Amino acid sequence: MKFSDETLLAYLEGNLDEAEARAVESAVEDNPELEQRLMALDSFAPLVQAVFERLPAQDPKIDLPEPEPHTQPAVGGLRLLAVAASVAVVAVSATFWATRPQPMGWAEQAAIYQSLYVPDTIAALDTSSEALAAQFTLAEEQLGRSLNREALEALPGMELKRAQVLSFKGKPLIQVVFADAQGQPFAFCVIRQGEGAPNKDVKEAVLSGLATATWAQDGYGYMLIGSSGQSDLSGQLDFLTENFAS
Amino acid sequence: MGGEISSEQAVRGAIQTHSKRVWRFGLALSGASDVADDLLQSTCLRALERHHQVTSYDRLDSWLMTICRSIWLNEVRARSVRKAQALSVTPEAELISHETDSETNIFAAEVFTQVMQLPEAQRETVTLVFVEGYSYREAAALLEVPIGTIMSRLSNARQKLKTVMQHEAADAVRRSGK
Repeated sequence: MKFSDETLLAYLEGNLDEAEARAVESAVEDNPELEQRLMALDSFAPLVQAVFERLPAQDPKIDLPEPEPHTQPAVGGLRLLAVAASVAVVAVSATFWATRPQPMGWAEQAAIYQSLYVPDTIAALDTSSEALAAQFTLAEEQLGRSLNREALEALPGMELKRAQVLSFKGKPLIQVVFADAQGQPFAFCVIRQGEGAPNKDVKEAVLSGLATATWAQDGYGYMLIGSSGQSDLSGQLDFLTENFAS
Repeated sequence: MGGEISSEQAVRGAIQTHSKRVWRFGLALSGASDVADDLLQSTCLRALERHHQVTSYDRLDSWLMTICRSIWLNEVRARSVRKAQALSVTPEAELISHETDSETNIFAAEVFTQVMQLPEAQRETVTLVFVEGYSYREAAALLEVPIGTIMSRLSNARQKLKTVMQHEAADAVRRSGK
């Protein structure tokens, strides 16, 4: 079942009836994407966070014992005991880790980051040719491949604004941000996943309330992110898949 | 691999990184800053004793929160309940800084008081999700309740916080209209 942003906002404001509210809640149970969308629309969270983040004003004081000196591994009977103990620990930890949620992938994280962008984020960026050249040099160095700046500058309907070096779990992640005709932020992200990473066909999804398309080819992951859940990505997508995945 | 850090180092690192977060959770659970101090201290000692149990360094923050909550529930809550009932005397004045302008401060103090007056289950959920940014399913795993319960606790909390938020929105409009 699909829920519009209007329905989700009505849920957050407590304006849905009991049955509709339960429908949203049960859909969230097996749909982490819907969960992220709902969380991103929640206006209470940032307000409460802003108040509580200021607490405590100073780092709280903690008294910890000195670190243990490194000991030699146990031998003989002690080692057996250690094995038995570690089996028990593994069993307990396995339960703990089996019940914990899946960690987020790079695309989800990139979408969350991008969802914080507003037109003002990119309005005042230095888009001189020198600034972009420096950013692309740095980004291409990190990524170990060309980003084809000329092609990106010719992306239909988009003005190139900035290339930024980010990182996800130690892998270089480059975010190239654009403004559409209305000044709304779009982004094209490339991550180096390493040789042997599986190729993936283009998959479109709404993440953190933004329309996205992801694909992977020859050890690199690609992602196009629109400015809203309704952004039409088709024009840019054809162009990018042609230039970056053939 | 020689470069790997030991589980003890990882736990010590996590304690440094997440101390404020654990303290805030302790405050949300107990409603009192001195109890939050004690909860943080006990949590860190307990975590350090148990560093051998750590198999992944991925989410040590959730692990610390789980320890903090279990110490609260099993060891501290009973003797702190009287204190928690006297929430109206929580020293928010001393907790909320006075550096920013006074209208912002009045609002912050109001939000703080409203959150602290929520029932404990809503308070801990609001802290985990709104303040610390855990997803609904992460909070559900941590508190060992279904996701639906997390969501309905948040809905109830939103209803109670609505009034103070609406005042703020109205004030903001009024201020910007000046």
